[in-house]
Amino acid sequence: MSQINMVQSLNRSLDRLMAADERIIIMGEDVGRDGGVFRVTDNLLNKYGTERVIDTPLNELAIIGMASGMAMYGLKPIAEIQFQDYIFPAFDQIINNIAKVRYRTGGRFDVPLIIRTPYGGGVRGGLYHSQSGEAYFAHTAGLIVVTPSNPYDASGLLVSAYKSKDPVIFLEPKRLYRAAKSEVPDEQFEVEIGKAAKLKEGDDVSIITYGSMVPVVMSAVEKNHVNADVIDLRTILPMDITAILQTAKKTGRVVIVHEAPRTLGVGAEISALIAERAIDSLLAPIIRVTGYDIPFPYSHEEFYIPDEKRIMNAINKVLTY
Amino acid sequence: MGDEETLREMAIVGNLSNEQAITAYKTAVLARTLDMKIINAQRQGIIGFHVPSQGQEMIQIATAMLADKEDLIFAYYRDLALYLQRGVPLSLIFDQMLGNSNDFQKGRQMPDHFSFKEFNFSTVQSPVGAHLPLTVGAAYSMRYTKKNGIVITTFGDGATSTSDFHAALTMASVYNLNVLFICENNGWAISLPASKQTKAEIYKKGAAYGIPGKRVDGNDLIGSLSGLQEAFDYVRSGKGPYLVEAVTYRIGPHSTSDDPKKYRVDEITDGSEKDPIKRLENLLLKMGVVDSNFVMTTKAQAKESVDKEMEERMNIPPTDPLSIFDDVYEKPTWIQEEERRDLNVSD
Repeated sequence: MSQINMVQSLNRSLDRLMAADERIIIMGEDVGRDGGVFRVTDNLLNKYGTERVIDTPLNELAIIGMASGMAMYGLKPIAEIQFQDYIFPAFDQIINNIAKVRYRTGGRFDVPLIIRTPYGGGVRGGLYHSQSGEAYFAHTAGLIVVTPSNPYDASGLLVSAYKSKDPVIFLEPKRLYRAAKSEVPDEQFEVEIGKAAKLKEGDDVSIITYGSMVPVVMSAVEKNHVNADVIDLRTILPMDITAILQTAKKTGRVVIVHEAPRTLGVGAEISALIAERAIDSLLAPIIRVTGYDIPFPYSHEEFYIPDEKRIMNAINKVLTY
Repeated sequence: MGDEETLREMAIVGNLSNEQAITAYKTAVLARTLDMKIINAQRQGIIGFHVPSQGQEMIQIATAMLADKEDLIFAYYRDLALYLQRGVPLSLIFDQMLGNSNDFQKGRQMPDHFSFKEFNFSTVQSPVGAHLPLTVGAAYSMRYTKKNGIVITTFGDGATSTSDFHAALTMASVYNLNVLFICENNGWAISLPASKQTKAEIYKKGAAYGIPGKRVDGNDLIGSLSGLQEAFDYVRSGKGPYLVEAVTYRIGPHSTSDDPKKYRVDEITDGSEKDPIKRLENLLLKMGVVDSNFVMTTKAQAKESVDKEMEERMNIPPTDPLSIFDDVYEKPTWIQEEERRDLNVSD
């Protein structure tokens, strides 16, 4: 066991995987000599060389497109998009190629790649270093979308993503990169894709969240002694329907918290799933606490990102309904 | 091109035997006949859609003739003659066109979007040019895993305006990858003439990336072969990528869904003296390689085999509707499983 942060955890996991499997190629902008702008790929170039750790030209479409060609023909690329905000030039490749190759070829080809990208606000990054775009990807069958909220899950999910034969969008909440350290095993382990984590058992209210909001939710319920059931989804597509329904039926009061904007966000899907399948158990309306439906603001980002106060307001609302 | 010049060109190519020329001619006639058949089948509602390859047979056949078995080809949706010359049987083409249960792709794609892995073809998508960045990754993988062969890719003139094209050229040149880019410039991207597509000459578009380029007569078998040979040699020698612009002509519409009368006057028509197949036919007749009887027999045989094959393949039942939930993921998630149960096909 080691006490490490998420960056260290990802770096260690990448290193371990690369040492064991020569098919793994890391590619992206500044991932080599610079070790990535957040240092997730630090020192891997020295260890594995320029053929396996590729500093690419500045073209996201080219990075993702090339990575898919590699994945279709026997390699295991782990591509980094420096900020999720910059993934959109490659959106067509992700939606129309990567997500559909297996399907359109009747299962004769697959694209087993990982696209790692930091997302979310909290680093004073303004409009273009702060977005949470998970819903764009979660709307597309054929993709797997995961997001860890702690160093342990980061490592475990990365190993599962590596073992997956399906393309994985690996969203890293950049605000949590160095926010906290936790115990991470020194040997390889997996966190199963599609399985949520129950972070806290409680009876009064269910809070379903993921990514950067997990520590905020935990802090709010602990400080305020809320008897809450807290679910960290970890996988956004396919999400853990069993865990969602189990907690909704248990407490009858549900608050969903995410940093991404509310309209047609992941919370809308969770809310609909509960309404369709567990409405008889509900004792209060489902409430979403989310980022606002505005572009991500630079100078007032602390008002954009849901905080403990907004989360507590929602909890109190469903508790007193 | 005059006879003498053509003969000289053939001497330069050196490796084109009469037998090969005859095979190429037969493939071209078969491709054209198949095209006509499918257009008719589309009008009768038997096949949903078609992107004809008429007029582009020669560059496609030349490409297949120069490609080795271990070369990986990323073709586009207008490459019928390329598939046929590389040995893909009519039966498999019809299976895909009809989307029957024998189709490798399980009826998931529109006609002309093939994935003949056995013949070392990759997979075709509709978004124009989107396969081009993939070719670079495939070439990287082949080099990394020390596989023989190069990557060959075909695309239209419209594709050279896409970001994908420029992304692919960027990567191919930076990593010095063995990719042969062949633009089949047929003059039209649906209704847009190539003159409005780009002010640049397409074969020069690689220059900005340090990629050599060449324009070849894509309507002439000899011209295509001799032009392509240099490009193949260059890429095979490991010098890096190469861009060929094969000037050809789209006889007929973009697809069965449009009428070119609306936007152009046809410059070349099926069977006219400028038709690439007619040009090859005239050359072979003049040189005494074949006679008029051979020409008639070839056309009759092509029609017979195309008619017979389609009739046979039409008897193959469609895929099981419940299979639409397969191959989304390696294993269906609970979502596809649930939706599969929801689709009650017996109603």
